[in-house]
Amino acid sequence: MESHENAMEVRKLRKAFGVLKAVDGIDFDLKRGEFLTVFGPNGAGKTTLIKILSGLTQPTSGSAKVAGFDVTEGNPKMRKEIGVISHATALYADLTPLENLMFFARMHGLAQPEDQALKVIDEVGLSQRRNDRVRTFSRGMLQRLSIARAILHDPKILFLDEPFTGLDLHASNVLKEHLKRLHDRRRTILMTTHDISCGLEMCDKVALQVQGRFAFLENIENVERDQFEAMYFDAVRDNQFIMEIGAK
Amino acid sequence: MNLYLNQIGAIIWKDFITELKTRELLSAMFIFALLVILIFIFSINLSIVKASEVGPGILWVAFLFAGTIGLNRSFMLEKENACLMGLMLVPADRTTIYFGKLISNFIFLSIMELFILPLFMIFFDIDLLAHLGPLLMVVFLGTLGFCALGTLLSSLSSNLKTREIMLPILLYPLLIPIVIGVVRMTGQLLEGIPLLDMMKWIGLTASFDIIYIGVSIMTIDHILEE
Repeated sequence: MESHENAMEVRKLRKAFGVLKAVDGIDFDLKRGEFLTVFGPNGAGKTTLIKILSGLTQPTSGSAKVAGFDVTEGNPKMRKEIGVISHATALYADLTPLENLMFFARMHGLAQPEDQALKVIDEVGLSQRRNDRVRTFSRGMLQRLSIARAILHDPKILFLDEPFTGLDLHASNVLKEHLKRLHDRRRTILMTTHDISCGLEMCDKVALQVQGRFAFLENIENVERDQFEAMYFDAVRDNQFIMEIGAK
Repeated sequence: MNLYLNQIGAIIWKDFITELKTRELLSAMFIFALLVILIFIFSINLSIVKASEVGPGILWVAFLFAGTIGLNRSFMLEKENACLMGLMLVPADRTTIYFGKLISNFIFLSIMELFILPLFMIFFDIDLLAHLGPLLMVVFLGTLGFCALGTLLSSLSSNLKTREIMLPILLYPLLIPIVIGVVRMTGQLLEGIPLLDMMKWIGLTASFDIIYIGVSIMTIDHILEE
């Protein structure tokens, strides 16, 4: 990981489910410490992209390197370098936050599972509730605990799949602060979201994924917010229209 | 190797903590097995039929049907909140997930069986204590084979909408060699035949146990991914 300038290198990545092309020829590089936000209408293939990059599913063709590892090889060393937060929490509802995180710490082979679990629980502000069952938590608390699970092993790269889904304004702001802190610590982040203001506020690069392709990919300095917003809403209304803009 | 065993241990620990809190799995399996035995007790006239002849089949039907409930529940736990995705993201060999689930399924099923055996002995008026050692060995072989195949197939069927139906449909036909072996051995034990005289049945059952574990190791990676 340290010897690579790029945290991610994606070339002509494709994933098809029968005739449906969920990811259709995506190319991009992401340098270490960069934050890429991927916008796109529902069904654009954003979740599939994250699943491929995190090694959860195999691409149909193309290549992707994450932290210097080929994602198709399923190397456990790559999984040491990444953390994934999705709208599903991946937490056991009948266990407490402490039990959940101790379990994942043991699975990661961390030396002091309990100490590490307590540390990240404190970091996401859930110390008071560390011995309550996760089943009793609000959506916002679950999402914070989900962040704790993802950063437990101090990964260099984070994948966030629509982390703001279902959060109220307060929970959304709390989550945004956590993500900013993670980005400040030079973690490479790839986030998919529908939340324009959160997504644009935090990122270094912005992409618009439509029908499996990146119709737009640009550094944030070169992005006019109003124009991008208009383009995004057009994409949501009419995927074909934005494909034409991307082609230009 | 230490990390590998520690990861398996972590999965077993997590399943135990969950069961201690919810008490869903053991109670459901125990009640179901008990009901199966009671239904047979009321439907069979033991003054006409020899208990040692029908008993082994009924005992294993109870174990296997109750065990299927346990297997269904086992992977459902991992599907809830996409916990299986969380497991697949840890830097562990995927066989640790299989062995962790296999061992916890085996332990839960064995606990249920230990509670059912004395009740079976009372209801059927059979003296199991005289053959306890060999009987436990047969129960061990049968339970291991059931869990080895059942854990693999429950991970496969957990992705299906019709998982409650698909698991038994996939599982029971493939279990036939093991079921034949353990039912025959249990019957012969109850007739007083020593275990050493049943080497071909032990060989058959143990072979299928090993085959199912081997096939699971080879395929679990693909099954979990898709």
